[in-house]
Amino acid sequence: MSQTHSPKILGFLCNWCCYTAADSAGVGRYQYPPNLRVIRMMCTGRLDPSFPLEGLARGADGIFVGGCHPGECHYIDGNYHALVSAALVHEMLARLGVNKERFLIDWASAAEGPNFVRIITAFTHRVAALGPLGAAEGRETEALRLRLAEAAEAARGRKIRTGLINASREMMQGGDFSRKAIAGLVAGKCAKALAELTGEAVP
Amino acid sequence: MHASVPNPSAPQAVGSVMVVGGGVAGVQAALDLTELGYKVWLVEKSGAIGGVMARLDKTFPTNDCSLCILAPKLVEAGRDPNIEILTLAELVELSGSAGNFVATVRKQPRYIDEEVCTGCGQCTLYCLKEIGNGFNENLEKSHAAHIDYSQAVPTSYYIDAKACLRLNYDTCGLCAVACQAGAIRFDDTEKILSIPVGAVILAPGFGRVSDEVMARYGLGQFQDVVTAFEHERLMCASGPTGGEILRLSDRKHPKKIAFLQCIGSRDETCGNNYCSSVCCMYAIKQATLAREHDPGCEITFFSMDVRTHGKGFDAARERAIEEGNFRVIHARPPRVEDVFGGGLLLTWATEDGRHHSEKFDLVVLSQGLEAPADAAGLARAAGIDLNGYLFARTDTYAPLATSRPGVYVIGAFQGPKDIPDSVTQAGGAAALCAGQLAPGRGTATTKASFPAERDIVGEEPRIGVFVCHCGINIGGVVKVPKVAEYAKTLPHVVYATDNLYSCSQDTQRLLVETIHQHRLNRLVVAACTPRTHEPLFQATLREAGLNRSLFEMANIRDQCSWVHMHEPEAATEKAKDAVRMAVAKAAHLTALPEQQLPVTPSALVVGGGLAGMTAALAIADQGFAVTLVEREKELGGRALLLTWDRFGRDPRKNVAGLIAKVKAHPRITVHTRAAVAAVSGYVGNFTTTLATAKGSVVVNHGVMVVATGGRPYEPKQYCHGESPKILTQLELEKKLGSGRPLARNAKQVAMIQCVGSRGEDLAYCSRVCCGQALKNSLRLRKLRPDLAITVLYRDMRAYGFLEDDYRAAREAGVLFVRYQPEKKPEVSIGKGGAVSVRYHDPLLRDEVELDADLLVLSTGIVPEDPTRLARMLKVPVTAEKFFLEAHVKLQPVDLPVDGTYVCGLAHSPRSMDETIAQAQAAAGRACQPLARGSITPAPIVSRIDPAKCIGCGACETFCPYKAIEIYKADKGRKARTLTASCKGCGVCAARCPTMAIDMGRFTFAGIMAQIDAFGRGI
Repeated sequence: MSQTHSPKILGFLCNWCCYTAADSAGVGRYQYPPNLRVIRMMCTGRLDPSFPLEGLARGADGIFVGGCHPGECHYIDGNYHALVSAALVHEMLARLGVNKERFLIDWASAAEGPNFVRIITAFTHRVAALGPLGAAEGRETEALRLRLAEAAEAARGRKIRTGLINASREMMQGGDFSRKAIAGLVAGKCAKALAELTGEAVP
Repeated sequence: MHASVPNPSAPQAVGSVMVVGGGVAGVQAALDLTELGYKVWLVEKSGAIGGVMARLDKTFPTNDCSLCILAPKLVEAGRDPNIEILTLAELVELSGSAGNFVATVRKQPRYIDEEVCTGCGQCTLYCLKEIGNGFNENLEKSHAAHIDYSQAVPTSYYIDAKACLRLNYDTCGLCAVACQAGAIRFDDTEKILSIPVGAVILAPGFGRVSDEVMARYGLGQFQDVVTAFEHERLMCASGPTGGEILRLSDRKHPKKIAFLQCIGSRDETCGNNYCSSVCCMYAIKQATLAREHDPGCEITFFSMDVRTHGKGFDAARERAIEEGNFRVIHARPPRVEDVFGGGLLLTWATEDGRHHSEKFDLVVLSQGLEAPADAAGLARAAGIDLNGYLFARTDTYAPLATSRPGVYVIGAFQGPKDIPDSVTQAGGAAALCAGQLAPGRGTATTKASFPAERDIVGEEPRIGVFVCHCGINIGGVVKVPKVAEYAKTLPHVVYATDNLYSCSQDTQRLLVETIHQHRLNRLVVAACTPRTHEPLFQATLREAGLNRSLFEMANIRDQCSWVHMHEPEAATEKAKDAVRMAVAKAAHLTALPEQQLPVTPSALVVGGGLAGMTAALAIADQGFAVTLVEREKELGGRALLLTWDRFGRDPRKNVAGLIAKVKAHPRITVHTRAAVAAVSGYVGNFTTTLATAKGSVVVNHGVMVVATGGRPYEPKQYCHGESPKILTQLELEKKLGSGRPLARNAKQVAMIQCVGSRGEDLAYCSRVCCGQALKNSLRLRKLRPDLAITVLYRDMRAYGFLEDDYRAAREAGVLFVRYQPEKKPEVSIGKGGAVSVRYHDPLLRDEVELDADLLVLSTGIVPEDPTRLARMLKVPVTAEKFFLEAHVKLQPVDLPVDGTYVCGLAHSPRSMDETIAQAQAAAGRACQPLARGSITPAPIVSRIDPAKCIGCGACETFCPYKAIEIYKADKGRKARTLTASCKGCGVCAARCPTMAIDMGRFTFAGIMAQIDAFGRGI
């Protein structure tokens, strides 16, 4: 990890897989950097797209979302919907000029304590290398946080959420749950609303 | 003690069970029985329940805090209105017969009224008479008026009648003056109670190898020779040294510790020929923890064989050794002498015949398990037979039944065993009692009642915060008092404190008092993890008249102190952040209504082998319908591959009997050549589609037992398949069953153990192969007494009474030679098909070549691929492809998804008797929701605000459970939640375009408050 910066990382973990994996890492006494703070949710499907943006706006240097492996969601397909929300977050970060590596969504099953530790350790190191929010981006931190807060507000708005509904619907109908396909769906369905947010010309 | 005992002639007799022994097995049996609808009399000979597990610091292999996982069960047992705990009590007579016993119990006086005692401890403070503190292995003092340990249940003090000055000499009596509650009763007397019960479960635990035996290894002579039980207390935060491992001679930290295994076990000289089955595990645990206390500490482990044969046990052994400074020396227990100027000199002989000696700072004797000290008396009272070692006599095919119908035995009294197996047996015995007493279900029980819930609407949040030390589990890393002080500064917090163990019964009482005293309306506990302990604290909330949803937990152990053990500052900061976030969320919690859902009173059992059939019968006997699904054409499974058990009987006869019973049982429907195609629903209301030869069949059921089994590992090593002289143990067994097992001129047989196991294709130990090799060796010798047999092994894992077979084989002349995994035996087939086995003989210190007329490979057990079924059920499997149980120690047959259970080889490799007990346990657990008749799911369902809802239907589209419907309202369409179907995932809330949907306990405002609180720490 960077000698100079100890990053603040906020994690949203699903009760059934990643939170349990985190507990089992403790039971096995696997050690990892003490940077993560955890919010437990029943399912990553609960992840409101505004949550990760709010986390960054309020001081996190990195956000982690941890769920069950694809196809193994305790609630059947909640983690696919989480991927839709995550795609929006990545899209917004890109448009705001925030390094996309500050946001990670990944999986660890209940039996995978060591895997959880590996993911968190690597992510902590990566975010540490980026430095505090704004450092890697070459932007002023406070200004960036303000923009993120606006983005979070927009993610709670009807326009973007309607786009996400359409993206989720097509994802479920199409059956392609790859991150690339989902990113494409979200970018397409939310294009107009996102353009408004960043003040670009409406395509 | 409740004075009134029901009249023996009262009709409710049949609905109650007596459990003798309040250790973890007895407590678990009691809890399982009340869940199944029976009243329990829990008879404990000491002053408190908890048994040996309460004295352990941690538990193998997870090194979980022992008391932390036990205490919630003790508290639950103490609270349960259908469990009557009788302490200082023993069973003296059992008359009548199964279904209608009358148990006579002698209860010694406590001299302190349990109902009046507040557990304040003033009596101990004023008591003049010092006695040894037995709970702490007499390593410190206690007083005649005392409590065994601070988390004891019942949370009541009692007076040691032998020591008390007032009772013996009519002096003193200070305690009566000091006791503000007026609970002291010097005139308390012995009581004889006659209690009608339908069945009895014996769970008295184990006795210990005597001090005379241990004196041979210096105990009593040298201060720095301690027993493992003493060492356990030295490691424990609530022990005599406050959790510091200190030498008793000079109070210094030992740097070199020797663990001496098999003290009083596998030892004919003290009459204990059996293996105590648990010492290797507890010693490895203690060694691991000793290094946690002092990373520089060197461990030496003297053992004839390392018997870590349980699920995940070998992995824990390897982890301990890999951490370094951990030597395993294969030797009989060394001679112990003291050294001038301190330390102990150990002298031992290794298997190559050489002698060694070395100095150590501390010697820990791994004291074996014996039958309970009063086994003979208990057997007489209960009218049961004992075996030669004074353990209860049972049969392979009815492992939990004693010689007397209606009397069952569980735990170490059935044979030395660990906690998971004891807990498993507890569940099994509960199922058997429930089956035997099915007509009496619910006739002797009462319903638990809680005070009316206080309405907190309109109140400002008043939050109480309890920060737990968890012994040294948290307190050893995180500065707990600082965290509690910090909590006091947070908004809405009106009270904060720290506790040694937040989960103990006295703390629950304190929580209730504090809630009343400070008029708290939200509770935050910073401790282990909500996954294990939330239900306990929620029950406490209900006792204090608060809705259970007004609770939040901060995880500062599993996800903090345990994973940042070397960073106390950072861990303390993390704990503070976690508390701040929990408090922020708590302020937004609201009381949520509970819902009750009906349960379909039937079970589906997947797998028709020994486990599945046993489970199906045990469920059906309890009065519930069972659908049994078998993939093959016939029932029976892999048990049919065995032709001979260790007592020379044919197991196939037993299996055939089982098949006949299953087929004849009116409540069991069998589908053969059928497989599970799809599963939906949840506990109480599953719907499963079976693919059968006759098309698909839909089954509605309340619970599911997974017994999908395993199969023999197919070896490719050691030229298997290349010569008719090379067989697996099962192939040999088949031949032995067919009459022409051996060539007439065969003279030499070789066996190789661990083929493909313990690090090869299978990472784990298959537990049964050593016993199988012994069984078949003895069988071959019986057939042909002149036959030479050489068994090449790594560790002979002849645990428990199997050690008898190991000794019998050695006495019969079978030669056992250890090989090292890095130097495995080599097998070649020469000209003319001669099979030659080359191995290193440690005693000869040379390579030996042997011409084997028969080479038998001991191969392990592979689970049937669980992936498809596990995905359908949403349950995890281990890396080795066994189903992963909900909790290794305390829920050994529950799967993490409510209403699903596992037994047999799908769980882990095990023997027939262990499989039967486990299947009965799964049946017992599975019947709990069925017996209850309804379930109360967590009220975390979604709620839709009609004012914000625009009726777009996105939630209805995405809900995975069809738990949202659109209805026509006055102003257009609106969505509403069908709370009975909602599972609380929250997809609807995340997708709602107008944010009209919110989730119970995981509200938008609550999570936003957490995020905000996270940010405020920066």
